[in-house]
Amino acid sequence: MANETIDTSVLTDEQLAQVMENTRKYLTFISDGLCFGIDTSYVTEIIINHKITFLPMVPFYIKGIINLRGQIIPIVDIRLRMGKTAYECEDGSNCIIVMNINSIMIGILVDAVHQVIDIDTSKISPPTANNQEILVCGMMKLSDGTTMLVLDQVALSQS
Amino acid sequence: MDNSMDNMLDMYLFETNTLLEQLDGILINAEKSKLFTVDDVNEIFRIMHTIKGSSAMMEFSCLMKIAHKVEDLFFLIRDNGVDTFDSVCSEAEHHELFDLVFNSIDFMRSEIEKVENSEPLTENIDSDLEKINVFINKITTHFHPDAVADSPANADASTSSAQNLPDSSAFFLHVFFDEGCGMENLRAFMLVTSLQDACDGFTFYPNDVETNPDSAQEIIDHGFYIGFMEKDTLEKAIAVLKNQSNIQTYEVIENSIAAVEPEKATETEKTADTPKPAEPAAETAKQPAASSASKKTSSSTTHSLANKQSLISVNLSKLDSLMAIVGEIVITESMVTSCPELVGVKLDSFTKSARQLRKLTDELQDIVMSIRMVPISGVFQKMNRIVRDMGQKLHKDVELVIIGEDTEVDKTIVDGIGDPIMHIVRNSMDHGIEEDVNERLKNGKPEKAKITLTAEHTGSEVIISVTDDGKGINPEAVLAKAARNGLLAKPESEYSKKEILNLLMLPGFSTNEEVTEYSGRGVGMDVVRKNVEKVGGVVSITSELGQGTCTTLKIPLTMAIVDGMEIAVGDSIFTIPINNIRQSFKISADEIIHNVDNSEVIKRMDEFYPVIRLHELYNLETEVTNIEDGIVIWVESGDKSYCLFVDELLGEQQVVVKPLPTYLNSFNIKNSGIAGCTILGDGNISIILDVLNLYTNHIN
Repeated sequence: MANETIDTSVLTDEQLAQVMENTRKYLTFISDGLCFGIDTSYVTEIIINHKITFLPMVPFYIKGIINLRGQIIPIVDIRLRMGKTAYECEDGSNCIIVMNINSIMIGILVDAVHQVIDIDTSKISPPTANNQEILVCGMMKLSDGTTMLVLDQVALSQS
Repeated sequence: MDNSMDNMLDMYLFETNTLLEQLDGILINAEKSKLFTVDDVNEIFRIMHTIKGSSAMMEFSCLMKIAHKVEDLFFLIRDNGVDTFDSVCSEAEHHELFDLVFNSIDFMRSEIEKVENSEPLTENIDSDLEKINVFINKITTHFHPDAVADSPANADASTSSAQNLPDSSAFFLHVFFDEGCGMENLRAFMLVTSLQDACDGFTFYPNDVETNPDSAQEIIDHGFYIGFMEKDTLEKAIAVLKNQSNIQTYEVIENSIAAVEPEKATETEKTADTPKPAEPAAETAKQPAASSASKKTSSSTTHSLANKQSLISVNLSKLDSLMAIVGEIVITESMVTSCPELVGVKLDSFTKSARQLRKLTDELQDIVMSIRMVPISGVFQKMNRIVRDMGQKLHKDVELVIIGEDTEVDKTIVDGIGDPIMHIVRNSMDHGIEEDVNERLKNGKPEKAKITLTAEHTGSEVIISVTDDGKGINPEAVLAKAARNGLLAKPESEYSKKEILNLLMLPGFSTNEEVTEYSGRGVGMDVVRKNVEKVGGVVSITSELGQGTCTTLKIPLTMAIVDGMEIAVGDSIFTIPINNIRQSFKISADEIIHNVDNSEVIKRMDEFYPVIRLHELYNLETEVTNIEDGIVIWVESGDKSYCLFVDELLGEQQVVVKPLPTYLNSFNIKNSGIAGCTILGDGNISIILDVLNLYTNHIN
């Protein structure tokens, strides 16, 4: 019995460590009514209402480039990238999440940014077999009952 | 730790490369004038000494050994008087010397390259060392015809002969230092320096005490010899010697005729040994001697380094980031001063300070730009070597004339054009200059062929041309070859001469049937063109059959900043480099001629040029679609010339070029006519157009 207690406590420690290790901060955002999440270690900043300069001769889902304090960053409309219709805001405002994915700077245009939450990555389940979303690499049920789709940042950076 | 080692290696590589280049230059000049000046020899000696020292420190022993041998060689020349060397050595030997040194430089350079690529260095260098040794022995015989075998030119040879008198001086001082006092070679050197202050006209052996630590052992074993021609200098020297410390004994040896056996002479002529007890006074005597010696060396080094000390080497990436930051400052400055909220507000002191700021940022920008500028001479000097080596191999007598080597160009550009220029020079040497001198004479040309390298500034461009007075390019041969290789895009008769010469720069064109060591590997002028285009330049070839060929490279001074014309199409702003713009004008609708495929063409200066509507090409929304409402810009790049239709001109501006984000590289955006972008004063982004690629994109 004593042995068992010790065993469980060791296990709990390990589990704790594992949980700690697996816990990552995720930024959630809304695009076309869906909730997406991205590991915050890739997120540099969130900017709103930045002027996007149109860039010719690129795929339609690239909205253009922005000048972020002298840095030129390409902007991908996440809706268009996933084959949905563009989000048009009446007052022309926009919301961009700037990310640094393996030193490739990229901004994604989203409907709205939601919150930063702690996620146990071991609880992320793989996407369904008939996965339609090209940029999704996993999904997870959040505590408030909504489903978060995990954005595949590698697929995103590889155009 | 690793980092500091890397830094040291960086410094070492930089320094050694610079020195080798310098050496190359000295040798080329010396070879041209067929004699060494004292300065040359000293400089070569100094360079070799530095390379030897730093290589030893970095533990690149083969580099150290080779440098050491060459140093020995030049020490010998320096020691025996440069003039003597120039007069006693035959032309063939001169030639051999140059070859020897050039080969050594090449060897060192290849080793350095290995170091750069972190490959293992060559271990076995005996044959190279031997070659230099043989030569050293050979020229020693010239200097000392009487004492061939005794030549102490290198340490190995002199060990065996140290008991013999080293040269034909009339008197010798044979000096032994205190046993175990250490650093005998340096002590000997100090002795020599203090002797030099007191008297002149003496020789000493081993003669490499200053530089060769091994000579210490030799001095311990056999003593240090100082030879004098005159008796009174000998007496002066003895006086000096008496004031030196750490000298155990010295003896005067009179060198009677060679018939007397040296050993015997030593015995018979030996004067009474004058043992010098280590008296306390010696300590004091030692100080001035040492300081005078060190003063001497330091003064000589400062002299030769005088023009080097004001230079520092900086990592290029640091300069790049400095450049980027200054670019940002310039933009931010105009963002602040032209802040829309300030419009209409009268702020005297603000305007004044803003003006001051502008002046300073402009100055700052100029200075940063000038930091990156380096003279093109480095690239040009390398060509000397190529012309020399190829001239010898191909038995062509060619003179290289360099004009304007002080022209300064951005560092990245200098790095980018080295290979193209080398390729062009090789082409000129190999294909341009006639094989047969008689052919030249028949055409009324001088026997000695000439290749001229020129560089000059024209505003924002630098023009580099390589001109040879060889046989020129035969357009028909080029055309026929192009036809055979299937490179022609239209009937042969329609090609103008300019177009034919441009065929030379197509991939897979090489007029030489056989592959030679130097050129004709099938990768020819197209690589040149690609490399030059990479730095934003253009290549053009002009040639008169029988008169020669001229290849011209037009390169922007810097790639980081361009003079651009801002144009607007709809909401977008574009920048066209001013260099590419020939004219801009308004036209009326009836000037437009419609082609069969309904493309638009206009006539300008008796030639027809296609009109590209930028809004159509890039699918931009604009209200200006009537050709009369907008403006037409006639642009030209390389061999492409056409007209761009845009909404309006916004004005000329100097812009800092920013590369497009890496993410966009995968969309092949460079080939659609977009070279990069720039940030305008108001923070907006303007897209820089690549006139050449834009046209190709339009055609496709």
